[in-house]
Amino acid sequence: MTINEVVLSIKDLEKHYGVKNVLKGINLTVYRGQIIGYIGPNGAGKSTTIKILLGLEGDYYGKVEIFGEEVTETNIDYKRKIGYVPEIADLYDNLTAMEYLTFVGELYGMDFQAVDEKAQRLMKVFGLEDVYHSRIASYSKGMRQKVLIISSLLHNPDLLFLDEPLSGLDANSVMIFKEILAILAAQGKTIFYSSHIMDVVEKISNRIILINDGKIVADGTFNELKEQNKEGTLEQIFNQLTGFNEYRVLAEEFVSIVQEV
Amino acid sequence: MKNFKTLRFLDFFRGLFERFGINYTAMRKILTVKLTMDGRRTPTIFNQQAKKKKKPEENGFIKSLGMYVLLSLMLIPFVVLEHSLLYQMSIFYGIVMFLVMTSMISDFSNVLLDVRDKGILLTKPVDKKTLNVAKTVHICIYLVFLTVALTAIPIVIGTFRHGILFLLLSIISLILVNLFIVVLTAIIYYFILRFFDGEKLKDIINYVQIGLSISIAVGYQVLARAFSFVDMKITFTPSWWQFFIPPIWFGAPFEIFLKQHSDVYLVSFSLLALVIPIVSIIIYTRMMPSFERNLQKLTNNSGGSKRRERTWKNGLLKVICRNNEERIFFRFADHMMRNEREFRLKVYPALGLSLVFPFIFLFNEIQMNSYAHMVSSKWYLSIYFSCLMIPNAITMLKYSGKYKGAWIYQTAPIQNLAPFYSSVLKVFIVNLFLPVYIVLSAIFIALFGGEIIDDLLVLFVTAILYTVICSNYLKGTLPFSESFEDALQSGGLKVILASLCIAAFTGIHFAVTFIPYGVPIYLILLVAVTIFAWKLAYKTVWNFK
Repeated sequence: MTINEVVLSIKDLEKHYGVKNVLKGINLTVYRGQIIGYIGPNGAGKSTTIKILLGLEGDYYGKVEIFGEEVTETNIDYKRKIGYVPEIADLYDNLTAMEYLTFVGELYGMDFQAVDEKAQRLMKVFGLEDVYHSRIASYSKGMRQKVLIISSLLHNPDLLFLDEPLSGLDANSVMIFKEILAILAAQGKTIFYSSHIMDVVEKISNRIILINDGKIVADGTFNELKEQNKEGTLEQIFNQLTGFNEYRVLAEEFVSIVQEV
Repeated sequence: MKNFKTLRFLDFFRGLFERFGINYTAMRKILTVKLTMDGRRTPTIFNQQAKKKKKPEENGFIKSLGMYVLLSLMLIPFVVLEHSLLYQMSIFYGIVMFLVMTSMISDFSNVLLDVRDKGILLTKPVDKKTLNVAKTVHICIYLVFLTVALTAIPIVIGTFRHGILFLLLSIISLILVNLFIVVLTAIIYYFILRFFDGEKLKDIINYVQIGLSISIAVGYQVLARAFSFVDMKITFTPSWWQFFIPPIWFGAPFEIFLKQHSDVYLVSFSLLALVIPIVSIIIYTRMMPSFERNLQKLTNNSGGSKRRERTWKNGLLKVICRNNEERIFFRFADHMMRNEREFRLKVYPALGLSLVFPFIFLFNEIQMNSYAHMVSSKWYLSIYFSCLMIPNAITMLKYSGKYKGAWIYQTAPIQNLAPFYSSVLKVFIVNLFLPVYIVLSAIFIALFGGEIIDDLLVLFVTAILYTVICSNYLKGTLPFSESFEDALQSGGLKVILASLCIAAFTGIHFAVTFIPYGVPIYLILLVAVTIFAWKLAYKTVWNFK
């Protein structure tokens, strides 16, 4: 196994919704063990890219390969090695965590007993062993998020897609999860991390990709980006590259409207 | 999760599914999860408590089948009589199709329109085909239960009457009918989603649900009379427009095979019954991908909706709400009651019934005596039946699907919530009671003449007084602040007590009509009492913080 093994490659990816061009030619090669911070403003095309990679959206132009297999709507085998935490906590919440997690595990072809045991142990690590047999509907936001994280990792995937995975987690859980990601990456797992929280992306990613208006506008390590853009934090680089510099004006306008009463 | 009997039965067809390239193991797991969730359609915190009580999980739908068995009795005359088999069987299929279709729309739309499936399941190694088949099988399982409940008794009776061929024809055509309905519903949704957004579709589904509850309730009333009005002798003359009436297609084979009576029309009807369902399935499978794409509209509501200003309501607002606080709450309650689908679903059927009920009693009277006799009698008092919906609707006012939003009342700087109650009740009267009252009054004046206008005014004031009395049910809880899950299906004793109350009002009104000038005097007294009661309730019952 070489370090430079290609896990994911995207060539000239374009996607149109009607007349609207959402992705305008994305080129990207991801190697094994990388933690990619995938960032961009709302509506830049982040979610669309992830949906295409997961095979949820067809009808695109270009070539997308994961583990050397072409991604199409009919090819489902590559999904066995993928884990996914969606941005919106969509899950069947009338089920208990035990029922949901075993169901997901079984869909990945795992044995019921094995998933059950594994899920229970993972829940315990997150401090959720008491609610393992309670319905997810009764969980708090952070607890749901932990269930989603567990469900994405049950089958020991080689490639992880995380869309805002920290939402609702408390500071301690965030620490655990960031450490989990670091260990997984060190073991050769590849992580595709999409978020709006720049501090976290800055700290955990070893490669940052900034997408704006359907195109990649920056690609490199945080230090590389810093050198190119002469800015101190990822947040500032983000503002600069997306051409957004009127935040002060807008904030002032907002407050002045508030004060009118 | 338990091992469902239905799924064990489905296991017999495993080979068949696999031959079509479906991952049976995955499909079975999806179905197990779906059926488990159906047994728990109550995803709230309160359910967790219910679970502790070891309440057995039960599927609301399976429980409701009993009602359909009862309705199926209505179908018996159509299979027993032998005037015109084609005509009778067409009505039979007409009723079956109507009930299955409405039930399909009201109970299974969420299955067809579930957008979570895509995100949860397709990101796992499950292919689209398997998921779509799982969805279809899920619906079919319920449709089979429903159809069996609805037709088993009539078909058994019909088999005794007409022989084994009847049984065979019925089973084949019922399968075709069900296929046709699933596909037709999906196609209708497809077109709605193509031209409108998801909110519109949810509204349409909501109104179908309301219509279904009304028609089932009215169906019970008709049930008793079903035997009396089918003995009419109708000779059936085929003509071209009948090609557009699907129940006739399915009725035709019975005429051909059981009556040995065939002509070009009957044969073409029968062919349509066979060909159209099959063709529609082919169209459906072709359309599935673009249907899925349109489904996304359900989640993202692009396109701003237009704001409708109602000037008449603003005018009314100034008249009936004295202070500004009341006006604020009136506007808020007006928006809540108009927009909340779950509220409409709980209240509108009762509203529809209150429109229908007075007439059921009038029809009874006409059947027993004569129209002329009824018009000169005091049967116009049957309009009081329309008030029966008031206690039910008022108990519903404290519930909301989004009850968690109620924290706003606590955090906002509000001194006293009494204006909230009074304006919610005003909205109830204006939005819900008034339309029913106006429609009924117009019809009753047409039937009984202008001299009942003062009686109708009495009714209106009584309704307001009655609303105040019923508002006791709201005591201690804020409007829109509790989950519908907590609502008992029937108000039980409370509603019965309230109904007795309306009976008393009717009795007083009836007595007063015998006194000269009784009604106008009663009206004035009633207005005084109502104003007093409203003010009293404002200070006591609604005074809540």
